[in-house]
Amino acid sequence: MFKTQPQSTLDSSRDDLAVQIQHLNYFFGVGDLSKQVLFDISLELPKGQIVILTGPSGSGKTTLLTLAGALRRLQDGSLRVLGKELVGLGDRALVNVRRNIGFIFQAHNLFESLTASQNVEMAVELTGKFASKREQSVTMLSALGLADRVDYKPKSLSGGQKQRVAIARALVNHPKLILADEPTAALDKKSGRDVVTYLHNLSRQEGCTVLMVTHDNRILDVADRIINLVDGRLESDSTPNDFVQHKTQEALTEVSADMFIM
Amino acid sequence: MIKRIPLAWLNLTHDRRRFATSLAGVGFAVLLMFMFNGFMNALYDSQLQLLNRFNGEVIIVNRLRTNMFVPRAFARRRLYQARAFEGVQDAYAMYISEVNWKNPENRKSRVVRVIAINPDEPVLNIPEIETHRQALKLPETALMDTKSRVEVGPVEAGVISELADRYIRLVGTFTIGTDFASGNGNLLMSDQNFLRYFADRGPEEDKRSFATVDVGVVKLAPGTNVERMVKTLQEHLPNDVLVMARDGENGFVIRERKYWQENTNIGFVFSLLTSMGFFVGIILVYQILYTDVADHWAEYATLKAMGYKNGYLLGVVMQEAFILSVLGFIPGVLVSQLLYTAAGNATGLFFQMTLERIINLLVATFIMCLVSGAIAVRKVQTTDPADVF
Repeated sequence: MFKTQPQSTLDSSRDDLAVQIQHLNYFFGVGDLSKQVLFDISLELPKGQIVILTGPSGSGKTTLLTLAGALRRLQDGSLRVLGKELVGLGDRALVNVRRNIGFIFQAHNLFESLTASQNVEMAVELTGKFASKREQSVTMLSALGLADRVDYKPKSLSGGQKQRVAIARALVNHPKLILADEPTAALDKKSGRDVVTYLHNLSRQEGCTVLMVTHDNRILDVADRIINLVDGRLESDSTPNDFVQHKTQEALTEVSADMFIM
Repeated sequence: MIKRIPLAWLNLTHDRRRFATSLAGVGFAVLLMFMFNGFMNALYDSQLQLLNRFNGEVIIVNRLRTNMFVPRAFARRRLYQARAFEGVQDAYAMYISEVNWKNPENRKSRVVRVIAINPDEPVLNIPEIETHRQALKLPETALMDTKSRVEVGPVEAGVISELADRYIRLVGTFTIGTDFASGNGNLLMSDQNFLRYFADRGPEEDKRSFATVDVGVVKLAPGTNVERMVKTLQEHLPNDVLVMARDGENGFVIRERKYWQENTNIGFVFSLLTSMGFFVGIILVYQILYTDVADHWAEYATLKAMGYKNGYLLGVVMQEAFILSVLGFIPGVLVSQLLYTAAGNATGLFFQMTLERIINLLVATFIMCLVSGAIAVRKVQTTDPADVF
């Protein structure tokens, strides 16, 4: 178990960064059972960037995502999200950080008992804007092409539509950071593409940073940057084109549609 | 649209069938509590049905008559002595005895309680006495309680049968209800007829006469202080009689109720059963709430990820508990009311649903649901939003 540098060397936060990670280590479990899953990660995500985080399963990408989402307590290194240092924060403070982040999950996780609009309004209620919640929700759903599905319950929506409602819920408060975990995994090719396109357009409009974990090679092109994580270490950090070329060279004999499935 | 989305309500009612089943479950627990509680109260309340009809503020009984079941009489002259006090308007005698009544249909004998009074005196608040006064004054006539057990046979005017192996004719009916001391039913007759049947029933039976009285009902003049009068009478009358107010904390009616509370297992048995209904309810509601939380686990975890605090989710579960308790209580009360009526008709016991009892059980139902909610809530608290990824 290695110690991190003193605080002074970490204190180099910049305003133009949505996420700034320095020498981050993370362990699951405690004592003899503790297992290190992230090793000395240093990473900077400037505002407005769409970043895809990829890597084999078990490489720690989801863990990194949950750490950036203030869903786990952190002890080691430095992790700044939207200018706020998360290391050492308690549960209560972490909840407040989360309110500035939009989460999109592999499953839509919508309440079956609420309409599309009500599901989105649940997010607006966190901000206390009760008077305008319906309006905000409808605006956001319309931006995602769901204007005619506002009062439908999830049961009467298709998979792609449900995921778009989930995205509306994540975006309705205009968060500066969006964390998405395999948002297209449960969708067919076309709806997956639609969802990503909407996400891409909206994040450009809102100028928000997107950190997305995905295995889906069909959507790599929306990214500004692709980060590959292997066994808890940063393996590569490149543009989509470089990433594709690099991967293609590695597997020249096997040029097929799913050559990027890792 | 300034209100919060009623998530608890929508989650509960989303699946109509499940919601109906849940309410039926809570309602059933409420019903169990009402029935057991109802039987307990009915057994107590029934003892007081006759006592509540006594038309007087002060009651005089033999000191040894600790409850209505004890056949102890006192000297009738005590009533005459009581009449001498200022403030006493009148003192009425009531004679009570038990004797066999022959069912006119199957010829089987059953014990009934005979209550005898002077029909010209307003001893009991039973309007039928007034109606049938002239008939009651005829020899060998009586009124019978319509709430008597079915074993006594038909209860209506004109029935001719045998009481203490002698001819008797029913000239009408009245309604009181049975209790522990009443046997299979109540028979009401004039004091003159009482003598006819009980003056000499044979060498092994008590010979009754107007010299002894079972219960003395003292009517006070309007405006008389009951407490002071009771004290005065007790001080001046010989100690073989006990003078009590009819109502009030130390009254005759309460004493009778207390006797049965303290000398029977009714309270213990039925309180135990009521609390079993309570715990069945806790388990049922816990199941309902736990299923809701477990089914919506990912959604609740997502809410936590979005920034909702534990407190909000606890609130949702507690609201669900609250809704279940209120909405489950309503069908519970309504069905209980029907069953009270049915049970009252079948047993002759006095089932009454007072506001106080309803409120008590409503509070019990609240507590039941809150306890279940408090247990089910732990599932929400331990929900880790990081696990949804």
